[in-house]
Amino acid sequence: MFDISEDKINETELRKKTRDSACGGFVCFEGWVRDHNQGKAVQKLAYEAYPKLAIKEGNKIISQAMEKFAIKKAFCTHRVGLLEIGDMAVWVGVSAAHRDAAFKACRYILDEVKSRVPIWKNETWTDGESGWVEQE
Amino acid sequence: MKNTSKNITILFFGKLKETWKTSELKQTTQVNTIEELYIELLKHCDEEPHKASIKAAINDEFVSWDSSINDNDTIAFLPPASGG
Repeated sequence: MFDISEDKINETELRKKTRDSACGGFVCFEGWVRDHNQGKAVQKLAYEAYPKLAIKEGNKIISQAMEKFAIKKAFCTHRVGLLEIGDMAVWVGVSAAHRDAAFKACRYILDEVKSRVPIWKNETWTDGESGWVEQE
Repeated sequence: MKNTSKNITILFFGKLKETWKTSELKQTTQVNTIEELYIELLKHCDEEPHKASIKAAINDEFVSWDSSINDNDTIAFLPPASGG
């Protein structure tokens, strides 16, 4: 299941939901706000989403991952609103019987979310200027 | 196709809010497709965005540029995603 959250991501709860007794492995990715991007010093970030479409598209990605890879459970939550340096912006977790599928599915979900889910990043730099971030 | 008047809501996200200097517009329009609406909207912005990178949605579903617009539709124009 995919979700967007205005509150701090609760990774402990998400990890618990991803656990399954049929699984021998769990792969997780946490995306954090870093203090620099494209050569500029970043002070903070704001993420904006088109919530209804973001949740639909995110859930489509999770369903596609479930079909493509031999995994048992997958969750992804993306934070929106104002985030500070070090805050968690995105969490992806996948459980599977074997590690290979879990690694691949986690990477697939993250890459697809970054390119397809309507969420946009606005950076405020330490010089006080701000701007929308283009896809790298 | 007959050009009938339609009341629509247009949403802009990300940097497109700055291009059109608003996040939401309510309009009565006679255009029939997303493409025609986009061309009409270009008259109201100073700088033409890179159209190939923009996605459109009607009523919370991604749609193609030749999709028809109906009365009371909510249409969104979305720049490339930059989440993660």
